[in-house]
Amino acid sequence: MDQNAEVLVQLVIPLALLVLAYFTGTVIERRHYRSIRERERSWSELPVITLRSVPSGWRVVDSGLVSSSVVISVDYFKRFLAGLRMIFGGRVKTYESLLDRARREALLRLKEQAQSGGYQAVINVRVETTRMANARGDSRIAGLEVLAFGTALELREAP
Amino acid sequence: MSFDPSLPKDGINVTPTHPLREGLLLVVGVAAVAAGLAAMLAVATDLLVPRVPPRLEARLFSGWFDGAAEAGTGGAREQQLTVLLDRMSAHWLENPYQFSVVVWEESEPNAIALPGGTIAITEGLLERVESENELAFVLGHELGHYHNRDHLRGLGRGVAFSLVLVAVGLSGSGSATQLAAIAGQFTQRGFNRVQESDADRFGLELLAAEYGHTAGATDFFDHLPSDDGLSGYLSTHPLHDQRIHTLRAAARAAGWPLRGKRRALGWPSDSVGAEVREQVPGRGE
Repeated sequence: MDQNAEVLVQLVIPLALLVLAYFTGTVIERRHYRSIRERERSWSELPVITLRSVPSGWRVVDSGLVSSSVVISVDYFKRFLAGLRMIFGGRVKTYESLLDRARREALLRLKEQAQSGGYQAVINVRVETTRMANARGDSRIAGLEVLAFGTALELREAP
Repeated sequence: MSFDPSLPKDGINVTPTHPLREGLLLVVGVAAVAAGLAAMLAVATDLLVPRVPPRLEARLFSGWFDGAAEAGTGGAREQQLTVLLDRMSAHWLENPYQFSVVVWEESEPNAIALPGGTIAITEGLLERVESENELAFVLGHELGHYHNRDHLRGLGRGVAFSLVLVAVGLSGSGSATQLAAIAGQFTQRGFNRVQESDADRFGLELLAAEYGHTAGATDFFDHLPSDDGLSGYLSTHPLHDQRIHTLRAAARAAGWPLRGKRRALGWPSDSVGAEVREQVPGRGE
């Protein structure tokens, strides 16, 4: 039965993990995108912009630092495909959607932070991505953090 | 300055390719490259191996399997096996090797042709064989591997393919290495199956020369676990039924009788192996 055990370890378990990760990953991604689009629509009136100075005509009452972050991890399926991509080169398409979601989620959280602080706009917004090492300290990554921060403004009247 | 709210657009930062399509392309690509490399290396090894003289082989590998000899359970059964092996190899006229036998304490039934001329036979195999003819065929099959230099081919391919895997591994991609290993193994298995059939044929010839008939040649397959299902497809050896069929057809074509009197096996009961055998059931379960 040694050979069957070998087959199980080498083929069946990774394959089952791949299928499982594909389905869970797809469902989670679809749900997340739905939520992102909905919130982007409802938050569209709150400006989050990259200008370094206060736009002319805005009358600032108060200001403060706001920041938000999202930590994401890669699923087994995406990691597997990205690993194969490393051989041939080219766009790592499976990671594109992951990072796109993380960036958009971070900006949405920034808006939430601003509103809960009583601000009406955020200027000088910056977005940074940090790679998190895993516990073993090898070249694999545990996940990514997307950090967004900016200067939130309380305005006399809405922009 | 006025603010016009607008929504981010989808499909610019994210390439709209279905992940399964992407996956299929990559998997097929990597597997094809790995299988191609494995096949190329296998062919290159096949070209090189016949150029290695057996004497050089014996010198190269002398000392490699000293450990294997120590792992042997020794005793009267190894002597008895050596006598049988000598009788079988006597029919291989231009035999350049000095053969020896070791018995390994393994419950899995198996026999291995080690480089240099040492044949390792497991306890599990000895427990299962019922006649001398059956055992003689197993030894003849292993002699066939030496005749065709398969033991060196397997070794050469293994080493060459390990180098490729290391190279792929250096790319830092675990999934590619895994996939390449699987694809390479399947390719090698294809080559192995051909070798096993050729070794069967050689063993059959020796069996017929020794006993005047080929009874017992296919007995061993009845004593192996069934190879139906998944493990059969992944096996390094051809399927049992297929091997039995091929053996019978070869015997018929050569005019060797399929039936004959099988000689009984008499193991000395006070051999060292008997003590070891009692310990075997506890392992591997």
